Amino acid sequence: MKSRGRFLWIFVVVFGLFCIVPLLTKNTFFLRIATEALMWIGLAITWDVLAGYTGYLNFGHGAFFGIGAYTTAILMTKAHWFFFPSAFVGGMIAGLVALLAGFPTLRLYGAYFAIATWALGRAFQQLALVLDITGGPDGMRLPTFLNPVFFFYTMLIFVGGLFLILWFLLERAPFGLKLKAIREDEEGAMAIGLNPARVKVMAFIVSAIPAGIIGGIYAYWITYINPASTLGDLVTDQAVVMAVFGGLGTLIGPTIGAALIYAFKTYFWAYLSQYQVLYLVILGAAIAASVVFLPDGLWGAFVSRQEGRKALKKGLALKKEKRA
Amino acid sequence: MISLLPQALIDGILIGGIYITFAIGFSLAFGVMHIIDFAVGEWVMLGAFMGYYLNRWLGLDTVVFLPVVFVVFGFIGYILQPVIYKVLSGKRGNPHLMGLVFTFGLGLMFRGLGLTFFGFYSHSLKTFLSSGSFSLDLGSVFITIPTVRLAGLFYALIITFGLTYILKKTDFGIAARAVAQNRDAAGLMGVNIERISSFIYAIYVGISAMTGILIGSVFSINAQMGGKYTIMAFFVVVLAGMGYLAGVPWAAFLLGIVQAIFLIYFNPGWTLLAVFIILYVILLVSPKGLFGRGI
Repeated sequence: MKSRGRFLWIFVVVFGLFCIVPLLTKNTFFLRIATEALMWIGLAITWDVLAGYTGYLNFGHGAFFGIGAYTTAILMTKAHWFFFPSAFVGGMIAGLVALLAGFPTLRLYGAYFAIATWALGRAFQQLALVLDITGGPDGMRLPTFLNPVFFFYTMLIFVGGLFLILWFLLERAPFGLKLKAIREDEEGAMAIGLNPARVKVMAFIVSAIPAGIIGGIYAYWITYINPASTLGDLVTDQAVVMAVFGGLGTLIGPTIGAALIYAFKTYFWAYLSQYQVLYLVILGAAIAASVVFLPDGLWGAFVSRQEGRKALKKGLALKKEKRA
Repeated sequence: MISLLPQALIDGILIGGIYITFAIGFSLAFGVMHIIDFAVGEWVMLGAFMGYYLNRWLGLDTVVFLPVVFVVFGFIGYILQPVIYKVLSGKRGNPHLMGLVFTFGLGLMFRGLGLTFFGFYSHSLKTFLSSGSFSLDLGSVFITIPTVRLAGLFYALIITFGLTYILKKTDFGIAARAVAQNRDAAGLMGVNIERISSFIYAIYVGISAMTGILIGSVFSINAQMGGKYTIMAFFVVVLAGMGYLAGVPWAAFLLGIVQAIFLIYFNPGWTLLAVFIILYVILLVSPKGLFGRGI
């Protein structure tokens, strides 16, 4: 109970700090960076719902982001809908795709799921390139609405709300316990009466819907989307590296990872833009190195260090003695 | 249009033959090490570029460099394997997931390195085989077979039979199959699992890189080609059943035929979608592959 109170306090303080950002600065560049940082936090935590809590790696997360973006674009330009219902429908369609794709693949061994989602991401990229309604490689233009403050608050409220909902769902509600039980021992979970396939498909949908809505917000914000920017591999790659680097299986880990990696990316692209492809090398090396040296991520390493110190202080553990 | 069908089938079989080679290595590495290598297409790409640059520097025919590429990349695989082994046998986190994430990161890194050093342009590999072709005129049906594609099929057959021989007849192959069947029991029988895994990974990386040269002389090469071949390897291996080597050739021929038919009769842009839909249906109907023999 105590940790819940502390968590909510920290959350309110951080959320409040973000709320006053537009009052402090009129610099649109800075506001844009803050909005995008929030977007990446949202994508990293939704990726982690499946990877960290369920143990299934989704290498096609960018597809849901792109589906949301394209649905929003199509509804707003072709059907002249308003923004909010379009983004909502975008999220729902992403959820529907997750349901259809997850149903056969989530019953299988995790490697099949990783392959199938990776192929799914590629297939949607290809689909957006060949269809007429998506404009092919030229992409789509949305009605322009140039109000950075509006998009900042939309993103902030959505990602903040998402964080709270996921926190209650995964850390407080029985749903999170079910997911962890399946991650640790699927047969054991079945023995106590859970239906693993159903729970995993639900987790997949929970991770896909917000990714789609974030895609919708992104599309209206940037006003121009094409297959490379929204359905390209970079969206998935970055979400993966952020979550893995920060620490899987928690919500705070991917948030920290997203903030750090995004800060690095911004710095890198601002000062070293002539070496853009080198960014891919660094991203890949960061994933591989954090798997080898930080299997629990930054946050996981920090938590186990704190726990070790506490245990030492209480006399529950002995200090490792140097061998003579 | 129907008169083009024999040509499509022949093309498909010739192209499918090339897919056999890296898919069989991939399936072997999965069987022995339980690793899904997301970097398989990137090995193909790196091998192709090595052939391309060796050809430019030394002026010799690219085919000559096949063994060189195999040895160099085999060595790279051999020294990389202990890292993968360490990740897979780690105590913390979920080691199998971490293995997937690790190779995913490797693939990304190689793609970035490829783009950095080789640029965005497409190149093609020239060999003495590139120019010639055979023609068959059977009255109403006219079939063309480029020499290089036929050579690709022969190369695939040599690799396939060579690997089959090694796996069935040599001590090393028997040990490797034992590791694939039951790791712990094989270890108890005195098989050095780590060494076997290193050699298998070396063979797989070497073959994939070598295949890059053939792919480069049939199609063109660029630094972003890896993803396409990764998906081909996944498709072939899932269709055949993961870890079931005997199914790989049939699945590869099927993939080649699907590709050739889409190229001739439909829009080539839809090929990847068709490949994904077939993959999806297979996973839905028979997740252990066409033959039901996968893991």
